[in-house]
Amino acid sequence: MNDRGVGASIPRKEDDRFLMGTGEFTPDVRIAGMWHAAFNRAPIAHGRLLSVKAPKGAEGQVFSSADMADIKPIRSTASFPGFKGADFPVLARDKVRYAGEQVAIAVAPTRAEAEDIADAIEVEYEALPAVVDMNDGREPSAALVHDHWADNVCCETEFANGALEAAKEAAVHTVHRRFRMARQTPFPMEGRGTLAHYDSRLDELVVWMSHQLPHPMQRGIAHFLDLEINRVRVICPDVGGGFGLKTHLDGETMAVCWTSLRLGRPIKWVQDRLEHLICDADCRNHQYTMTAYTDEIGKILGMEVECVVDAGAYSPWPWPIGVEAATGVGNLQGPYTVDALKGRSVTVCTNKPPSQPFRGVARPGACFTDELTMDAIARTVGREPWEVRLDNLVPPEAMPYDTVTRKHLDSGDYPEAFRRCVAAIDPEAVRERQRTPEPDGRLIGVGFACFYEQTAYGTGPFGYSAWGIELVPGMEMATVKLTPDGGLWASVGIQCHGQGLETTLAQVATSELGIDPDRIAIRHGDTATAYAGTGTYASRSIVVAGGAVAQGCRELKPRLARIGAHLLQCDEAEVAVENAEVRGPGGSVSFAEIAEAFYHHPENLPDDTDRGGLTVTTGYNDKVHGGVFGFGAHGAVVAVDPETGQVEILDYAIVDDCGTRVNPLVVKGQVIGGYAQGIGNALYEESDYDENGQPLSVTLADYHVPAAPMVPDIKYDYMESPSPYSTMGIKGVGESGAIGPVGAIGNAVNDALKGLGVEIAETPITPRRVFDAIERGRAS
Amino acid sequence: MTSTTITVNGRAVTADVEPRLSLADFLREHEGLTGTHTACEHGVCGACTIMLDGRPARSCITLAVAAHGTDVRTVEGWDGDGTMATIRDCFRKAHAVQCGYCTPGMLATAYDIVTRLPGADRDRIRLELSGNLCRCTGYIGIVDAIETAIAEIEGGS
Amino acid sequence: MKPAPFDYARAESLDEAVRLLAAADGDARPLAGGQSLGPMLNLRIARPTLLVDLSPVAELREVSEDEDGVTIGASVVHSAIEDGEVPDPTAGLMRRAASGIAYRAVRNRGTVGGSLAHADPAGDWAPVMMALGASLGIRGPEGGRSVEADAFIADPLTTVLEPGEIVEAIRVPRLSSGASWGHCKLCVKPGDFAESLAVVVIDPDRDHCRVALAGPTHAPILLEEVAGTVADANGWSDALAGEIKDAAGRGIAAAGFADTGDRYAINVHSTVTVRAAREALSR
Ligand SMILES: Cc1cc2nc3c(=O)[nH]c(=O)nc-3n(C[C@H](O)[C@H](O)[C@H](O)COP(=O)(O)OP(=O)(O)OC[C@H]3O[C@@H](n4cnc5c(N)ncnc54)[C@H](O)[C@@H]3O)c2cc1C
Ligand code: FES
Ligand code: FES
Repeated sequence: MNDRGVGASIPRKEDDRFLMGTGEFTPDVRIAGMWHAAFNRAPIAHGRLLSVKAPKGAEGQVFSSADMADIKPIRSTASFPGFKGADFPVLARDKVRYAGEQVAIAVAPTRAEAEDIADAIEVEYEALPAVVDMNDGREPSAALVHDHWADNVCCETEFANGALEAAKEAAVHTVHRRFRMARQTPFPMEGRGTLAHYDSRLDELVVWMSHQLPHPMQRGIAHFLDLEINRVRVICPDVGGGFGLKTHLDGETMAVCWTSLRLGRPIKWVQDRLEHLICDADCRNHQYTMTAYTDEIGKILGMEVECVVDAGAYSPWPWPIGVEAATGVGNLQGPYTVDALKGRSVTVCTNKPPSQPFRGVARPGACFTDELTMDAIARTVGREPWEVRLDNLVPPEAMPYDTVTRKHLDSGDYPEAFRRCVAAIDPEAVRERQRTPEPDGRLIGVGFACFYEQTAYGTGPFGYSAWGIELVPGMEMATVKLTPDGGLWASVGIQCHGQGLETTLAQVATSELGIDPDRIAIRHGDTATAYAGTGTYASRSIVVAGGAVAQGCRELKPRLARIGAHLLQCDEAEVAVENAEVRGPGGSVSFAEIAEAFYHHPENLPDDTDRGGLTVTTGYNDKVHGGVFGFGAHGAVVAVDPETGQVEILDYAIVDDCGTRVNPLVVKGQVIGGYAQGIGNALYEESDYDENGQPLSVTLADYHVPAAPMVPDIKYDYMESPSPYSTMGIKGVGESGAIGPVGAIGNAVNDALKGLGVEIAETPITPRRVFDAIERGRAS
Repeated sequence: MTSTTITVNGRAVTADVEPRLSLADFLREHEGLTGTHTACEHGVCGACTIMLDGRPARSCITLAVAAHGTDVRTVEGWDGDGTMATIRDCFRKAHAVQCGYCTPGMLATAYDIVTRLPGADRDRIRLELSGNLCRCTGYIGIVDAIETAIAEIEGGS
Repeated sequence: MKPAPFDYARAESLDEAVRLLAAADGDARPLAGGQSLGPMLNLRIARPTLLVDLSPVAELREVSEDEDGVTIGASVVHSAIEDGEVPDPTAGLMRRAASGIAYRAVRNRGTVGGSLAHADPAGDWAPVMMALGASLGIRGPEGGRSVEADAFIADPLTTVLEPGEIVEAIRVPRLSSGASWGHCKLCVKPGDFAESLAVVVIDPDRDHCRVALAGPTHAPILLEEVAGTVADANGWSDALAGEIKDAAGRGIAAAGFADTGDRYAINVHSTVTVRAAREALSR
């Protein structure tokens, strides 16, 4: 038995190259003759574009939308009610709709020279009033972001299930709150980047991209440039983080591809941090208005919610505007047994960069809303929030459980995860501590959050096909091949940008075939090597690509058995395929010997050797299209300094369950990485704009990404409730850690402030917001 | 163009460069040492941290011409260094690497902590890491790795 | 984010640096550690025509000590002070301040002189030097002069330096044995520029008590009324804290140090002042 397969905490195979500095990220790729691109960008948030003029001497090095008549604008589609289409121009055309929108591309031998030219391009604008806030954008008097629309609302969805009127009538308490999440950016350490190069031998445009979705980008680039798919290859090499940001086709990439073809020259654009913070896609800018109806002890009977999402100026491709809002409403009941829910979502266009999903998509917003509501309910009914939560959580005996929003929760003991989290935090001890004032005057609070994480979902209700979008993820494919020396090569259509899939997918194969992970090469991120796939997002890759790799290995087994039995001169029924060998009654042959026979000594093969050889291309198609559900509970103890408004996390506990853990080390790493981002979400990160739509958080002096001292150690525990539906019971875990912190920390802060009779309902919970709340409390 | 002579990973390199060229771009573009990454180019994130005359420094806000006469060591230049080998091994075991983009800068800072502050506890390690952002790991694995490296080096010496 | 083009010259001596700066047309500037200039160049906020690199100038790295204090060359880096390589006449205040500036990698290159000359309103050295009563030695085409630290920064990013003048050294007076200090820096993340930074120095033997305050929007100030209250104080009490907080509020309003409507900023500045005073009075 090889004990390095599924379940083993082996160090990652990919670590070596990163630790030695020999990884290869898009900015590291160089091709002879390569030039660099820089963009001229709009200085205003909204205005008519009157003219673009290249500086003298640089005429052949500057291109604007007028030059690119042969590029199709990026257009996304959806079947959401009232969904309004609007082109996302590759370079601004007629109008600019957010500060930093790309207006012209400049190319030169070095990036510095390209920036010199981009700086010197003369652009004339006629400024227009900017729509900055989503609520203002809904007013009839608001300026129109897209002139051909009647208003700025670009999509509205409604959802109702269960007997809400009956719930209202039965309710003893009604709890009403409004919550708001600030705009944020996913902030991968490596920004976007694209290097396009026309390979004349293959008549193929080769595009290196820092991206999560190689195949969709291949399709998009081909489509919008009007090329055959055969003529575009997308390579996503090492990618320095994505978190959802790198899932849309950006105009800059299209402009780089076009310019490279036009000039017959490799062109590279590396997004810098200023570009990232000024004008790359933002996320999380949601507002939730929640009314919860409960019985006497706080059991929720029904919910009524409105979710408004600030979509920014354009709908990204392939995932359009509306996905965020639909996901927000579609998860608002959380892991609780709510029987009636009526929800409405409104997505509003504003003069800000387009919004994109970020780790957890809208679930952190939904979690913030339902978890802070839960604590508000507890305060209303006069019970402890952990008691009220336990009364509302889906009990294990109800599994599988269909939520009011039609999520099919597959397995697990949610209350047990929560009880463990409560035990780790010991809120009774916090209550005891709260009885005496702290020597330093700070206020102590404790808070919890429970959530599920919908992973690897596909086409089910509230899944991609229900949204009527262009690219619906379905079957995920893998090719596995026994190499001539008995190793395994597997190629997948996902893209790994930190998740450790080169290791964990190998571990899946190890469990199937017994080949050591060190002898398994996982290839990803390249449309030329992977048969098909839609990339890495939605916590799906280990479930779907893992399922596909496992299936490939399983389909290889009978072929190996056939040849092995022949070499062993025994009957196929007598052999076992395991431990990288085929074992028969009288001995065994290694996979290497079988491969040697297959590739180089066909004279030793049985006549009926499978024509597929030692290569299998096969797929994983989920049995349930709504995905498999990880879940967890987070608990936080905080100290709030009433003098400065600063919040310090004193204690934090996470209990997580992602079904079968393929590599516990990697699972924990994913959870902790999400937790750190959740802290940023809860306390620090905000992409702020002034009243004219000018971005205010454009350097790291203003945009506060958590550093090590802001991310304290945690108490970590896990449970393993395998999914009945996925291969090996694996569930995804990529997003889970990022969902809980806003809820747990928000509740802990509000618990600390409860003596003042105030609540915080907006992220990030900055010192200023805390101070303002305290002032409000003192004033009333 | 201005001439600059820098010892890069033990080898003296002389080049005529534009004064505006950063040391980071000099290493990446002229020397092909792409292990040094940039992620902010304004000194905050730490991705570009290299060793300059034996001390960590930001290569994004150090001009190549201003590094004239210095000794620079990048992530590619630690062959034969036992301390760095230990740190790397601890990073691997503690899962202190995810996407790997921050890693070269992290290693430079980790080396500085381990050698300059052998008594550092977890809080001090965190404080010293505050100039190196990592968006993937949540730092706990990195703190674990540095703590273990300090203990191993202490125990070994 | 690459700088606009500029010329570059290495100065081997202070005289040469002064000469190179004087001879240049347009915006010629000294380059010290580049830890402030570097980001400004990359962001194209600064577009000098010529940079005169001071790093080869040995005189600017010199440190001398006498009975009354220490003279620190402008090119001494923050980390040298942090590590105590430079004699500290301030009983640890300078080391504390140095260790709170940015991160080690920045402190290894960033210089005291560059920091003062850059005059970021939230910079760490200016309030420390103001509270200590330090002075700056300046060299220019017209020769040398000395300026008190509290008269050096006129506005955010603006000093009294004339074009072509270079900060040569900082003269830090020695605190008496009975002196004490307090230092409180509030920032979002360790190493960030301060949201608020107060420094209190009490040296009764030298009849010196000063309270300096720095923040992101206004040049650093001395809070004289607070200094008076602190000088007269006898130990620490809640009542004294309230008095200091109120006095700080008045000083902040009088100087226009924070927007009058910005209750949060005023509160933070006065709270930080109280905390620095408490540390000084509890030593
Ligand atoms: C990420 C980061 C965080 C930081 N955080 C802080 C912080 O918390 N607190 C803080 O105080 N600082 C902080 N800094 C700034 C740091 O302290 C700088 O080192 C310092 O401000 C400038 O010093 P320098 O030697 O690098 O000067 P340079 O950047 O080389 O020069 C700065 C300016 O001063 C001029 N100049 C330099 N030397 C002289 C001289 N001798 N005479 C006249 N003019 C001169 C230059 O022409 C330039 O205009 C931070 C920097 C970074 C990159
Ligand atoms: S790239 Fe140099 S510090 Fe960020
Ligand atoms: S591992 Fe990705 S940024 Fe640190």
